[in-house]
Amino acid sequence: MKPMPAEGLPPSPPLPPHHPPQPQGGPARIGGKEAGDDQALVAQTLAGNRAAFGDLVERHAGQARRVARAVLGDPDDADDAAQDGFLSALVKLGQYDARRPFGPWLMRIVANAATDRRRRRNVRRVEPLDTALVGGGPRPDAAAVRNELNEHLRVALAELPERRRKAVVLFDVEGYSHAEIAGMLGIPEGTVRSEVFHARRRLRTLLADWKEPMR
Amino acid sequence: MTETPSFDHRPDPELGAALRAALEPKDDHSAFVARVMAGYDGALERASIATLDVLAAWFRPGMVAAAAALVLGFLFGRTILDRAAPESIDTAMAPIEGPGLAALVTSNDPPDASVVFTSLVEQR
Repeated sequence: MKPMPAEGLPPSPPLPPHHPPQPQGGPARIGGKEAGDDQALVAQTLAGNRAAFGDLVERHAGQARRVARAVLGDPDDADDAAQDGFLSALVKLGQYDARRPFGPWLMRIVANAATDRRRRRNVRRVEPLDTALVGGGPRPDAAAVRNELNEHLRVALAELPERRRKAVVLFDVEGYSHAEIAGMLGIPEGTVRSEVFHARRRLRTLLADWKEPMR
Repeated sequence: MTETPSFDHRPDPELGAALRAALEPKDDHSAFVARVMAGYDGALERASIATLDVLAAWFRPGMVAAAAALVLGFLFGRTILDRAAPESIDTAMAPIEGPGLAALVTSNDPPDASVVFTSLVEQR
């Protein structure tokens, strides 16, 4: 079975067999020429080109995994959800409107897959803070401090409501606009602004506390 | 970072970088891509099976509904055909008993209410 073709797809220009590989984790934001390439890859995938779908996954994997991890916390769960999201997108590719950017459409599916997985497993992995971290234990070097900060950020992120978490990651990490995030999450743009505001307030406080020790 | 107000419409690069580092997967990017691609055929196959399942689920109720519609249509049609249509307007207006409607509409005198009533009742 091939993915069902969508209406309004642009003619698929021939692509080289492989795009140059993206940096590890993919770009934070895919736009402009890359977005045009996305459309071509979608068209080729719909025509049954498996490699084209591989290129789409290659491009968006980093972003999808980060968004899923923001929702689920656990990296393994996040990868499962990101995989679910990609395969679900493959099956639904015929529903994608090629006049719109591919990234937000895909991220919406990935975020929903992560939310579904979270509901199914009833997981809320807010792990208790390590006492050594809370107490500001020994910090042998900057890398260790950075690791501690990452852990604290993940915990702080996990404590935020899910929608707030998604909003701040999609905005500050992935670079989507408020309007795009509103479309992805199915909420008004003003609500996205509010969610980002509250998430930033919490996370910036945490980050500010850790800035000095990292210098 | 602290200089950027929380309602700023621009992404905060410092917070973004910190969050990105915190959320960045540690394992091999290409291993993940390979894992997704390993599910490519299965996903399309499952989608195809799911479509057939939906069609199969609708098949039986669909057949029952079609049969019911056929039977109802047949009964309705037979009822209509069984009603003998009058051959002409005169036949239709012909009295079953007494002067009837034809006499009423051709008479110069005002109609007698009892005759009208009787005609109507007789027609039924």
